[in-house]
Amino acid sequence: MTSAIVMHGLTKDYGSGHGLFDLDLEVAEGEVFGFLGPNGAGKTTTIRLLMGVIHASAGAAAVFGLDCDRESVAVKREVGYLPGELPQFGGMRGSEVVSYLGGMRGGIDRSRVKELSERLELDLGRRFREYSRGNKQKLGLVLAFMHSPRLLILDEPTSGLDPLNQQTFQRLVGEATAAGGTVFLSSHVLSEVEETCSRVGIIREGRLVSDMTMDKVHELRFHEVVIEFGGDVPDAAVRRAAGVADVSVEGSRLTCTVHDGFDGLLSAISGSRVVDMVSREPSLESIFLSYYRT
Amino acid sequence: MPPRLLLRLHRIGLIAMSYFGIFYVLVNSAAFPLIAGKTRASQEAFGHSITVLGATFSWLLPTPVRPDTSAGYLQWRGYGFFAILFAAWGLFSACGAVRRDEDRGLVESWLSSGISRLRLLITRSLFFAVLSAEIVTLTGAAGWLGCLIAGTPLDVAGLVGESAALWALTIASFGLGLLVSQLVSDFRTAASAGSALLVLMFLLDSIGRSSVHRAPFTDLSVFFLFNQSNAVAPGGTFAALATIVLVVVGAAAFVMASLGFVRRDIGNGLIRTRPGRMAEVHDASANPLLRLPIVRGLWIRRLGSLSWTAGMAVTAVSVVLLVNITATFFASTPTLSPYLRGLPGDVHTVLLALIWLSFAQALVAIFAITCVSRWSADDSSGVLEMQLAEPLPRWGVLTERAVELTVTVTLMSFVAMAVILALAPAEGISVDVGRMLSSTALLVPFALTFAAVGALLAGWRPRVAVVTLSTIAVISYLVFELGPLFKWPVWADNLSVFQLYGTPLITPVFVGGLVAMLAIVVVGFGSAGVVLARRDVAA
Repeated sequence: MTSAIVMHGLTKDYGSGHGLFDLDLEVAEGEVFGFLGPNGAGKTTTIRLLMGVIHASAGAAAVFGLDCDRESVAVKREVGYLPGELPQFGGMRGSEVVSYLGGMRGGIDRSRVKELSERLELDLGRRFREYSRGNKQKLGLVLAFMHSPRLLILDEPTSGLDPLNQQTFQRLVGEATAAGGTVFLSSHVLSEVEETCSRVGIIREGRLVSDMTMDKVHELRFHEVVIEFGGDVPDAAVRRAAGVADVSVEGSRLTCTVHDGFDGLLSAISGSRVVDMVSREPSLESIFLSYYRT
Repeated sequence: MPPRLLLRLHRIGLIAMSYFGIFYVLVNSAAFPLIAGKTRASQEAFGHSITVLGATFSWLLPTPVRPDTSAGYLQWRGYGFFAILFAAWGLFSACGAVRRDEDRGLVESWLSSGISRLRLLITRSLFFAVLSAEIVTLTGAAGWLGCLIAGTPLDVAGLVGESAALWALTIASFGLGLLVSQLVSDFRTAASAGSALLVLMFLLDSIGRSSVHRAPFTDLSVFFLFNQSNAVAPGGTFAALATIVLVVVGAAAFVMASLGFVRRDIGNGLIRTRPGRMAEVHDASANPLLRLPIVRGLWIRRLGSLSWTAGMAVTAVSVVLLVNITATFFASTPTLSPYLRGLPGDVHTVLLALIWLSFAQALVAIFAITCVSRWSADDSSGVLEMQLAEPLPRWGVLTERAVELTVTVTLMSFVAMAVILALAPAEGISVDVGRMLSSTALLVPFALTFAAVGALLAGWRPRVAVVTLSTIAVISYLVFELGPLFKWPVWADNLSVFQLYGTPLITPVFVGGLVAMLAIVVVGFGSAGVVLARRDVAA
């Protein structure tokens, strides 16, 4: 499989430890890559380097083999871009913004614009300044998807969207990849990544701390278990049990996490009187935060 | 709200008013002996000519008082004109503070930070009151310095009184702007309605001054109240009551604006038009002009371009109508009449050339600066990033900007030229069409010279581009104006872009100047292309 995006030692040093440092990453064609990290981690910097809006201090990035810095115009022919925040287009109508920016690209597929705006329930007849935050985001999505690009680079794409439109967005991403497209999206909302991505990278303080497939992410899943005992708490046996961690006891209540199946835990508590037992599957959010703490 | 942010929000007005007010007053007062002569007799003759001229212009400016003195001349030429300028500044600043900042989402953001609406409006108004007081004071100080240079020191008490009146007029206009901005929902409508109100007040005062019949409600005009004072002129008076009434007008307008601001929805005006039920649109605009390079920018900014063109045309009409009056004034002024004898060609043609070209140069230079201001704003607002997200090279953006400016300046200049060519014969002014064409065409490289320097600055340091370019333009203009008066060497004169343009309506095209301008254009835009290509956008 060929690479849609390749980054080698990509660095943008803003000084004082801020920026992006030594990013090595490849995104294959057809992949949906989620770029995760808290605010200020370097997600937008990476995206703006890919778009050639800013220049790297060191290293290089390429999209479909085209250098993002030297061949940025050719890169953008292949890319649909959603910035973190759309600029103010003031009194221009949504339809005019589409036509204006589409014209810069050289042409507009009006049937595609119609389809997208209908699916996202966006009235393009209204003036930009009248749009709510969500509608501005929808307009940004129309602008990014309207020319059916080979690569979509989306900075926090569901920001401001209601749940219904988030689902529409997920379907659009699915259709784009089904048609052979690649998606690189940044987010700090793991649930949207969970729904849409096939691989995630976690960035922290400008450095990539993890790059894994969603299958691998799911392998990292664990269960949070809370057990209420009727008698003595067998905490020593539980601590020794295979696959059990983070054991804590408070009165007759034991809390732990369980990885790779419940056999070890069940053996450890057999013979004890269990009054209540609750097992919760943590969200990706918890996995992410747990990962961050390490 | 941090003062630095407020300063940033008012920066364009601050820069423009500081430069214009200070330099205009300084030049006019300091140069008085040069234009009126140094002897008492020549100054009295000059004063007589100004009195006659003042009667002709009584619809525009108050009647001059002791124009044979530098103080009287400053009162008439400086403070008389400043009434219009400072009132417009106050009005547009208020409209911007309310409607522009609301459009940008700033007002919503500030209110959500916990500041009350009343406190927000008070903060903005107090800041403007302090800012305008500083600029009025600096302007007065420049007038005092100018008169000192002219050898006739001003009466400080009178200057303070006149400054107080000017400040009161400015804040009254600001208050009216605040009030009008509460009624409507966008900047353009607020500015138009506010301008209409000011023009009405100006006309009330003007009619009352220039006709035997006093117009009704004249006393309500802020211009009438301001013009009650003429304290700078020797023997003039400071109308304390009228000045207090101006402050009261400003305060009352502020109170009403506050009530409106508290009651209305953010993003809307008190007067709300019910939008017609329209079908939803799910299509890109069919307008082909939006998709064509260069044309798209011209189309988006068509209203602004047409307004500039109309402004140039109106200026051209005014200049043509002024030529005969000015010729009479020059001929009847002993200190100025020698200038007419030394001029090459017909007096009317020469005066048309001098007056028109100075106005046209100033207007296209200001237009170029406003374009540079927009280019800088595009960078910080994210518009440039969105443009560059399309497969458009950075040099392509730069080229579009330059060509768009060229087309607009060409339109503005040639429409004005057509107006002059149409009106001049009726006024008995002969115009050489060939020279008119070349002088009009030369306005394009002239504007591009400023634009090229501005493009370089906007590409390099967008945040300081407008301030720096404005400074360059003002210095350039001062060199152009003061050089001949103080007999500076030719090389110093030629540092001015205005000088490089020459006087192509009455003298052959200054080829050296044209070459220099073209060189600046090529080097400026070329360097801007390199700088923009290397720079991080919006960083």
